[in-house]
Amino acid sequence: MSALPDDPDELSMVAAEYVIGTLDARDALRVERALAGNAALRDLVQRWERHLAPLNTLVPQEAPPPDLWARIERAVSPARETPRAAASKPSVFLRLWQGWALGATAVAATMAWLALVPPQAAPRMMTVLVSDASQVAWMAEVDRGGGLRLAALGGPLGAPNNTAPEGRVLQLWALPPGATAPTSLGLVPRGSEQMTISVPAVTPVPGMLIEISLEPPGGSPGPRPTGPVLFIGRLSQAGPPV
Amino acid sequence: MQTDDDLKDLLGRVAAGDRDALRAIYLRQSTRLFGIAMAILRDRTAAADVLQEGFLRVWQRAGQFDPERGDGATWLSAIVRYASLDAARARGREIPTDDPSLGDTMVEPEAIGLIAADEEGKLLRACLERLPAANRQGIIMAFVHGLSHPEIAVKLGQPLGTVKSWIRRGLLNLRECLT
Repeated sequence: MSALPDDPDELSMVAAEYVIGTLDARDALRVERALAGNAALRDLVQRWERHLAPLNTLVPQEAPPPDLWARIERAVSPARETPRAAASKPSVFLRLWQGWALGATAVAATMAWLALVPPQAAPRMMTVLVSDASQVAWMAEVDRGGGLRLAALGGPLGAPNNTAPEGRVLQLWALPPGATAPTSLGLVPRGSEQMTISVPAVTPVPGMLIEISLEPPGGSPGPRPTGPVLFIGRLSQAGPPV
Repeated sequence: MQTDDDLKDLLGRVAAGDRDALRAIYLRQSTRLFGIAMAILRDRTAAADVLQEGFLRVWQRAGQFDPERGDGATWLSAIVRYASLDAARARGREIPTDDPSLGDTMVEPEAIGLIAADEEGKLLRACLERLPAANRQGIIMAFVHGLSHPEIAVKLGQPLGTVKSWIRRGLLNLRECLT
Protein backbone atom coordinates (compact mmCIF):
# COMPACT_ATOMS: atom_id res chain seq x y z
CA MET A 1 0.00 0.00 0.00
CA SER A 2 1.68 3.21 -1.15
CA ALA A 3 -1.09 5.52 -0.01
CA LEU A 4 -4.50 5.21 1.54
CA PRO A 5 -7.15 4.44 -1.11
CA ASP A 6 -9.75 7.08 -1.91
CA ASP A 7 -12.44 4.56 -2.78
CA PRO A 8 -14.67 4.14 0.31
CA ASP A 9 -14.98 0.37 -0.15
CA GLU A 10 -11.25 -0.04 -0.41
CA LEU A 11 -10.72 2.29 2.53
CA SER A 12 -13.12 0.18 4.54
CA MET A 13 -11.02 -2.91 3.81
CA VAL A 14 -7.87 -1.10 4.92
CA ALA A 15 -9.67 -0.10 8.11
CA ALA A 16 -10.75 -3.71 8.65
CA GLU A 17 -7.23 -5.05 8.20
CA TYR A 18 -5.93 -2.36 10.51
CA VAL A 19 -8.41 -3.42 13.17
CA ILE A 20 -7.77 -7.16 12.88
CA GLY A 21 -4.03 -6.42 12.84
CA THR A 22 -2.93 -7.92 9.54
CA LEU A 23 -1.38 -4.74 8.14
CA ASP A 24 2.40 -4.71 8.31
CA ALA A 25 4.13 -2.19 10.56
CA ARG A 26 4.51 0.43 7.84
CA ASP A 27 0.89 0.34 6.70
CA ALA A 28 -0.42 0.21 10.26
CA LEU A 29 1.59 3.34 11.01
CA ARG A 30 0.24 5.00 7.88
CA VAL A 31 -3.32 4.37 9.08
CA GLU A 32 -2.53 5.52 12.59
CA ARG A 33 -1.08 8.80 11.37
CA ALA A 34 -4.02 9.40 9.05
CA LEU A 35 -6.63 8.79 11.75
CA ALA A 36 -6.44 12.22 13.35
CA GLY A 37 -7.08 14.10 10.11
CA ASN A 38 -9.32 11.67 8.24
CA ALA A 39 -12.82 11.51 9.66
CA ALA A 40 -14.01 8.90 7.13
CA LEU A 41 -11.20 6.57 8.08
CA ARG A 42 -11.77 7.16 11.79
CA ASP A 43 -15.41 6.32 11.31
CA LEU A 44 -14.64 3.09 9.49
CA VAL A 45 -12.09 2.02 12.08
CA GLN A 46 -14.51 2.69 14.92
CA ARG A 47 -17.25 0.77 13.16
CA TRP A 48 -15.02 -2.27 12.67
CA GLU A 49 -13.83 -2.06 16.27
CA ARG A 50 -17.40 -2.06 17.48
CA HIS A 51 -18.48 -4.94 15.22
CA LEU A 52 -15.50 -7.14 16.07
CA ALA A 53 -15.22 -6.29 19.77
CA PRO A 54 -17.32 -9.33 20.80
CA LEU A 55 -14.38 -11.50 19.69
CA ASN A 56 -12.57 -10.22 22.78
CA THR A 57 -14.94 -12.28 24.91
CA LEU A 58 -13.29 -15.42 23.52
CA VAL A 59 -10.00 -14.52 25.17
CA PRO A 60 -9.34 -16.11 28.55
CA GLN A 61 -8.86 -13.53 31.28
CA GLU A 62 -5.58 -13.53 33.13
CA ALA A 63 -4.40 -11.61 36.18
CA PRO A 64 -1.47 -9.27 35.50
CA PRO A 65 1.64 -9.32 37.73
CA PRO A 66 0.85 -7.91 41.18
CA ASP A 67 3.30 -4.98 40.89
CA LEU A 68 1.88 -3.70 37.64
CA TRP A 69 -0.41 -1.08 39.11
CA ALA A 70 2.50 0.45 41.04
CA ARG A 71 4.44 0.70 37.78
CA ILE A 72 1.51 2.35 36.02
CA GLU A 73 1.05 4.78 38.87
CA ARG A 74 4.68 5.81 38.61
CA ALA A 75 4.38 6.13 34.85
CA VAL A 76 1.43 8.51 35.05
CA SER A 77 3.00 10.65 37.76
CA PRO A 78 4.72 13.85 36.73
CA ALA A 79 8.37 13.09 36.06
CA ARG A 80 9.49 15.64 38.57
CA GLU A 81 7.19 16.30 41.42
CA THR A 82 7.15 19.70 42.94
CA PRO A 83 6.69 19.57 46.69
CA ARG A 84 3.26 21.05 46.10
CA ALA A 85 2.29 18.12 43.93
CA ALA A 86 3.82 15.78 46.45
CA ALA A 87 1.78 17.42 49.15
CA SER A 88 -1.45 16.80 47.29
CA LYS A 89 -0.55 13.16 46.70
CA PRO A 90 -1.59 11.18 49.74
CA SER A 91 0.35 8.01 48.99
CA VAL A 92 3.77 9.60 49.37
CA PHE A 93 2.83 12.33 51.70
CA LEU A 94 0.84 10.28 54.15
CA ARG A 95 3.79 8.01 54.61
CA LEU A 96 5.92 10.97 55.55
CA TRP A 97 3.36 12.29 57.95
CA GLN A 98 2.70 8.91 59.40
CA GLY A 99 6.40 8.94 60.09
CA TRP A 100 6.19 12.40 61.52
CA ALA A 101 3.33 11.26 63.66
CA LEU A 102 5.47 8.58 65.15
CA GLY A 103 4.63 10.69 68.14
CA ALA A 104 6.81 9.14 70.78
CA THR A 105 9.88 9.05 68.61
CA ALA A 106 9.54 12.60 67.40
CA VAL A 107 8.82 13.91 70.85
CA ALA A 108 11.73 12.01 72.25
CA ALA A 109 13.94 13.51 69.59
CA THR A 110 12.62 16.98 70.33
CA MET A 111 13.20 16.54 74.02
CA ALA A 112 16.69 15.28 73.42
CA TRP A 113 17.37 18.34 71.30
CA LEU A 114 15.81 20.79 73.71
CA ALA A 115 18.02 19.43 76.42
CA LEU A 116 21.00 20.55 74.37
CA VAL A 117 19.74 24.04 73.61
CA PRO A 118 20.51 26.84 75.99
CA PRO A 119 17.32 28.41 77.43
CA GLN A 120 17.88 31.84 75.86
CA ALA A 121 17.80 30.22 72.45
CA ALA A 122 14.38 28.66 73.00
CA PRO A 123 12.88 28.42 69.52
CA ARG A 124 9.72 30.00 68.27
CA MET A 125 8.98 27.30 65.76
CA MET A 126 10.33 23.89 65.13
CA THR A 127 9.89 20.67 63.27
CA VAL A 128 11.45 17.29 62.90
CA LEU A 129 12.34 16.28 59.37
CA VAL A 130 11.59 12.66 58.59
CA SER A 131 12.64 10.47 55.72
CA ASP A 132 10.41 8.58 53.36
CA ALA A 133 11.14 5.56 55.52
CA SER A 134 9.73 7.45 58.51
CA GLN A 135 13.10 7.94 60.10
CA VAL A 136 13.60 11.02 62.20
CA ALA A 137 16.68 12.61 60.72
CA TRP A 138 16.90 16.37 61.23
CA MET A 139 15.64 19.03 63.55
CA ALA A 140 14.83 22.46 62.19
CA GLU A 141 14.01 25.38 64.44
CA VAL A 142 13.49 29.08 64.14
CA ASP A 143 14.97 31.27 66.83
CA ARG A 144 13.63 34.53 68.23
CA GLY A 145 15.54 36.50 65.65
CA GLY A 146 14.00 34.62 62.72
CA GLY A 147 17.13 32.61 62.02
CA LEU A 148 16.76 28.99 61.00
CA ARG A 149 18.90 26.32 62.53
CA LEU A 150 19.21 22.83 61.18
CA ALA A 151 20.74 20.00 63.13
CA ALA A 152 21.33 16.39 62.23
CA LEU A 153 19.91 13.98 64.73
CA GLY A 154 22.57 11.33 65.00
CA GLY A 155 22.57 8.33 67.21
CA PRO A 156 20.04 5.57 67.21
CA LEU A 157 17.13 7.88 66.44
CA GLY A 158 18.36 9.11 63.11
CA ALA A 159 20.18 7.34 60.34
CA PRO A 160 23.51 8.85 59.30
CA ASN A 161 21.57 11.04 56.95
CA ASN A 162 23.51 14.23 57.15
CA THR A 163 25.81 13.15 54.36
CA ALA A 164 24.79 12.92 50.74
CA PRO A 165 26.07 10.08 48.57
CA GLU A 166 29.37 10.74 46.79
CA GLY A 167 28.93 13.27 44.01
CA ARG A 168 25.61 14.63 45.28
CA VAL A 169 24.68 17.34 47.73
CA LEU A 170 21.81 18.04 50.08
CA GLN A 171 19.84 21.21 49.51
CA LEU A 172 17.49 22.86 51.97
CA TRP A 173 14.18 24.33 50.83
CA ALA A 174 11.28 26.19 52.36
CA LEU A 175 7.72 26.17 51.10
CA PRO A 176 5.46 28.66 52.88
CA PRO A 177 1.75 27.77 53.11
CA GLY A 178 0.00 28.67 49.88
CA ALA A 179 3.20 29.01 47.88
CA THR A 180 3.39 27.05 44.66
CA ALA A 181 7.14 26.66 44.54
CA PRO A 182 9.74 26.20 47.23
CA THR A 183 12.60 28.60 47.83
CA SER A 184 16.13 27.40 48.27
CA LEU A 185 17.70 28.10 51.62
CA GLY A 186 21.06 26.86 50.45
CA LEU A 187 23.17 23.74 50.47
CA VAL A 188 23.75 21.69 53.55
CA PRO A 189 27.53 21.56 54.08
CA ARG A 190 28.82 18.04 53.55
CA GLY A 191 29.09 16.10 56.75
CA SER A 192 27.78 18.98 58.82
CA GLU A 193 25.89 18.30 61.99
CA GLN A 194 24.54 21.79 62.35
CA MET A 195 24.00 24.83 60.24
CA THR A 196 22.44 28.18 60.93
CA ILE A 197 20.92 30.53 58.42
CA SER A 198 20.61 33.82 60.22
CA VAL A 199 18.51 35.52 57.54
CA PRO A 200 16.60 32.89 55.56
CA ALA A 201 15.52 33.79 52.03
CA VAL A 202 11.92 33.41 53.15
CA THR A 203 10.55 34.40 56.51
CA PRO A 204 9.70 31.26 58.47
CA VAL A 205 6.03 31.02 59.40
CA PRO A 206 4.05 28.27 61.08
CA GLY A 207 2.86 25.70 58.56
CA MET A 208 5.87 26.21 56.33
CA LEU A 209 7.33 23.01 54.89
CA ILE A 210 11.04 22.47 55.31
CA GLU A 211 12.54 20.01 52.89
CA ILE A 212 15.91 18.57 52.02
CA SER A 213 16.43 17.28 48.48
CA LEU A 214 19.24 15.38 46.84
CA GLU A 215 20.89 17.45 44.10
CA PRO A 216 23.86 17.48 41.74
CA PRO A 217 27.05 19.21 42.90
CA GLY A 218 26.43 22.93 43.36
CA GLY A 219 22.75 22.35 44.00
CA SER A 220 19.68 22.33 41.80
CA PRO A 221 20.39 24.10 38.51
CA GLY A 222 16.87 25.52 38.54
CA PRO A 223 14.53 27.23 40.96
CA ARG A 224 13.05 23.95 42.19
CA PRO A 225 14.39 20.67 43.53
CA THR A 226 15.46 18.35 40.74
CA GLY A 227 16.19 15.34 42.88
CA PRO A 228 14.01 13.45 45.32
CA VAL A 229 12.90 15.15 48.50
CA LEU A 230 14.60 13.01 51.12
CA PHE A 231 13.36 14.69 54.27
CA ILE A 232 10.39 16.82 55.08
CA GLY A 233 8.81 18.49 58.08
CA ARG A 234 6.26 21.22 58.79
CA LEU A 235 7.10 24.08 61.09
CA SER A 236 4.82 24.60 64.03
CA GLN A 237 4.78 26.96 66.99
CA ALA A 238 7.01 25.84 69.79
CA GLY A 239 5.68 26.03 73.33
CA PRO A 240 6.27 29.12 75.50
CA PRO A 241 9.94 29.70 76.26
CA VAL A 242 11.12 27.87 79.32
CA MET B 1 -21.14 -6.92 36.95
CA GLN B 2 -20.48 -3.27 36.35
CA THR B 3 -22.28 -1.49 33.60
CA ASP B 4 -20.46 0.27 30.87
CA ASP B 5 -21.91 3.52 32.22
CA ASP B 6 -19.55 3.19 35.18
CA LEU B 7 -16.63 2.91 32.78
CA LYS B 8 -17.80 5.94 30.85
CA ASP B 9 -17.98 7.94 34.06
CA LEU B 10 -14.56 6.75 35.09
CA LEU B 11 -13.06 7.63 31.73
CA GLY B 12 -14.56 11.09 32.05
CA ARG B 13 -12.85 11.49 35.41
CA VAL B 14 -9.56 10.19 34.03
CA ALA B 15 -9.79 12.81 31.29
CA ALA B 16 -9.96 15.38 34.08
CA GLY B 17 -6.76 14.00 35.59
CA ASP B 18 -8.25 11.82 38.32
CA ARG B 19 -5.75 9.08 39.15
CA ASP B 20 -8.17 7.27 41.48
CA ALA B 21 -10.50 6.81 38.51
CA LEU B 22 -7.64 5.30 36.52
CA ARG B 23 -7.03 2.90 39.37
CA ALA B 24 -10.71 2.00 39.49
CA ILE B 25 -10.58 1.19 35.77
CA TYR B 26 -7.47 -0.88 36.36
CA LEU B 27 -9.17 -2.84 39.13
CA ARG B 28 -12.15 -3.61 36.92
CA GLN B 29 -10.52 -4.21 33.60
CA SER B 30 -6.91 -5.30 34.03
CA THR B 31 -7.61 -9.05 34.08
CA ARG B 32 -9.60 -8.84 30.89
CA LEU B 33 -7.10 -6.52 29.19
CA PHE B 34 -4.09 -8.54 30.32
CA GLY B 35 -5.78 -11.60 28.77
CA ILE B 36 -6.07 -9.73 25.48
CA ALA B 37 -2.38 -8.78 25.54
CA MET B 38 -1.39 -12.34 26.50
CA ALA B 39 -3.39 -13.86 23.63
CA ILE B 40 -1.28 -11.76 21.24
CA LEU B 41 2.11 -11.76 22.95
CA ARG B 42 2.11 -15.06 24.91
CA ASP B 43 4.73 -13.64 27.25
CA ARG B 44 3.86 -12.21 30.66
CA THR B 45 6.71 -9.73 30.74
CA ALA B 46 5.90 -8.35 27.32
CA ALA B 47 2.17 -8.32 28.10
CA ALA B 48 2.79 -6.43 31.35
CA ASP B 49 4.87 -3.82 29.49
CA VAL B 50 2.08 -3.45 26.96
CA LEU B 51 -0.59 -3.10 29.62
CA GLN B 52 1.48 -0.40 31.29
CA GLU B 53 1.85 1.38 27.95
CA GLY B 54 -1.87 0.89 27.35
CA PHE B 55 -2.83 2.50 30.64
CA LEU B 56 -0.46 5.36 29.96
CA ARG B 57 -2.30 5.92 26.68
CA VAL B 58 -5.63 5.72 28.50
CA TRP B 59 -4.35 8.38 30.91
CA GLN B 60 -3.22 10.63 28.07
CA ARG B 61 -6.10 10.06 25.67
CA ALA B 62 -9.16 9.58 27.86
CA GLY B 63 -10.30 13.00 26.63
CA GLN B 64 -10.58 11.57 23.12
CA PHE B 65 -13.03 8.90 24.24
CA ASP B 66 -16.50 9.81 23.01
CA PRO B 67 -19.19 8.09 25.10
CA GLU B 68 -21.74 8.82 22.38
CA ARG B 69 -19.84 6.78 19.86
CA GLY B 70 -18.95 3.59 21.58
CA ASP B 71 -18.58 1.82 24.85
CA GLY B 72 -15.72 2.11 27.28
CA ALA B 73 -14.74 -1.56 27.31
CA THR B 74 -14.38 -1.59 23.52
CA TRP B 75 -12.28 1.56 23.60
CA LEU B 76 -9.98 0.09 26.25
CA SER B 77 -9.66 -3.22 24.41
CA ALA B 78 -8.74 -1.42 21.21
CA ILE B 79 -5.99 0.56 22.95
CA VAL B 80 -4.50 -2.59 24.46
CA ARG B 81 -4.86 -4.55 21.23
CA TYR B 82 -3.07 -1.90 19.16
CA ALA B 83 -0.33 -1.61 21.76
CA SER B 84 0.04 -5.40 21.71
CA LEU B 85 0.12 -5.50 17.91
CA ASP B 86 2.75 -2.75 17.89
CA ALA B 87 4.84 -4.76 20.34
CA ALA B 88 4.40 -7.93 18.29
CA ARG B 89 5.46 -6.06 15.14
CA ALA B 90 8.40 -4.46 16.91
CA ARG B 91 9.80 -7.80 17.93
CA GLY B 92 9.40 -8.85 14.29
CA ARG B 93 6.75 -11.34 15.31
CA GLU B 94 9.78 -13.50 15.90
CA ILE B 95 7.85 -16.04 17.93
CA PRO B 96 8.06 -19.08 15.73
CA THR B 97 4.74 -20.00 14.25
CA ASP B 98 5.37 -23.59 15.26
CA ASP B 99 5.56 -22.43 18.88
CA PRO B 100 3.81 -25.35 20.55
CA SER B 101 2.35 -23.14 23.26
CA LEU B 102 0.49 -21.29 20.54
CA GLY B 103 -1.33 -24.45 19.56
CA ASP B 104 -2.35 -25.08 23.14
CA THR B 105 -3.83 -21.69 23.69
CA MET B 106 -5.38 -20.91 20.34
CA VAL B 107 -9.02 -19.99 20.42
CA GLU B 108 -10.81 -22.77 18.55
CA PRO B 109 -12.92 -21.70 15.60
CA GLU B 110 -15.89 -23.45 17.20
CA ALA B 111 -15.48 -21.13 20.15
CA ILE B 112 -17.55 -18.49 18.40
CA GLY B 113 -20.44 -20.09 20.23
CA LEU B 114 -19.01 -18.40 23.30
CA ILE B 115 -19.19 -14.89 21.91
CA ALA B 116 -21.12 -12.64 24.22
CA ALA B 117 -24.81 -12.88 23.52
CA ASP B 118 -25.50 -9.15 23.55
CA GLU B 119 -26.89 -7.57 20.43
CA GLU B 120 -23.53 -6.82 18.83
CA GLY B 121 -22.27 -10.27 19.76
CA LYS B 122 -25.26 -12.11 18.31
CA LEU B 123 -24.92 -10.27 15.04
CA LEU B 124 -21.20 -10.96 14.74
CA ARG B 125 -21.67 -14.60 15.59
CA ALA B 126 -24.40 -15.05 13.02
CA CYS B 127 -22.24 -13.37 10.38
CA LEU B 128 -19.14 -15.41 11.27
CA GLU B 129 -21.13 -18.61 11.08
CA ARG B 130 -22.01 -17.84 7.51
CA LEU B 131 -18.37 -17.63 6.48
CA PRO B 132 -16.43 -20.61 5.16
CA ALA B 133 -14.53 -22.11 8.10
CA ALA B 134 -11.09 -21.15 6.80
CA ASN B 135 -12.02 -17.48 6.31
CA ARG B 136 -13.53 -17.37 9.76
CA GLN B 137 -10.50 -18.99 11.30
CA GLY B 138 -8.09 -16.60 9.62
CA ILE B 139 -9.95 -13.58 10.92
CA ILE B 140 -10.09 -14.97 14.46
CA MET B 141 -6.38 -15.86 14.42
CA ALA B 142 -5.54 -12.34 13.34
CA PHE B 143 -7.85 -10.50 15.69
CA VAL B 144 -7.44 -12.62 18.82
CA HIS B 145 -3.83 -13.79 18.48
CA GLY B 146 -2.39 -10.97 16.42
CA LEU B 147 -1.04 -13.36 13.80
CA SER B 148 0.26 -11.91 10.54
CA HIS B 149 -0.72 -13.20 7.11
CA PRO B 150 2.42 -15.37 6.83
CA GLU B 151 1.89 -16.82 10.31
CA ILE B 152 -1.70 -17.70 9.52
CA ALA B 153 -0.56 -19.27 6.24
CA VAL B 154 1.83 -21.52 8.15
CA LYS B 155 -0.80 -22.36 10.73
CA LEU B 156 -3.39 -23.29 8.15
CA GLY B 157 -0.85 -24.95 5.86
CA GLN B 158 -1.90 -22.79 2.93
CA PRO B 159 -0.06 -20.52 0.50
CA LEU B 160 0.26 -16.92 1.62
CA GLY B 161 -1.74 -15.56 -1.33
CA THR B 162 -4.61 -17.90 -0.60
CA VAL B 163 -4.75 -16.87 3.02
CA LYS B 164 -4.65 -13.17 2.14
CA SER B 165 -7.58 -13.54 -0.19
CA TRP B 166 -9.54 -15.70 2.27
CA ILE B 167 -9.22 -13.04 4.93
CA ARG B 168 -10.09 -10.29 2.54
CA ARG B 169 -13.11 -12.15 1.26
CA GLY B 170 -14.11 -12.95 4.81
CA LEU B 171 -13.96 -9.28 5.76
CA LEU B 172 -15.95 -8.26 2.68
CA ASN B 173 -18.65 -10.78 3.57
CA LEU B 174 -18.63 -9.63 7.17
CA ARG B 175 -19.05 -6.04 6.16
CA GLU B 176 -22.04 -6.88 4.05
CA CYS B 177 -23.56 -9.01 6.76
CA LEU B 178 -22.88 -6.61 9.63
CA THR B 179 -24.35 -3.47 8.08
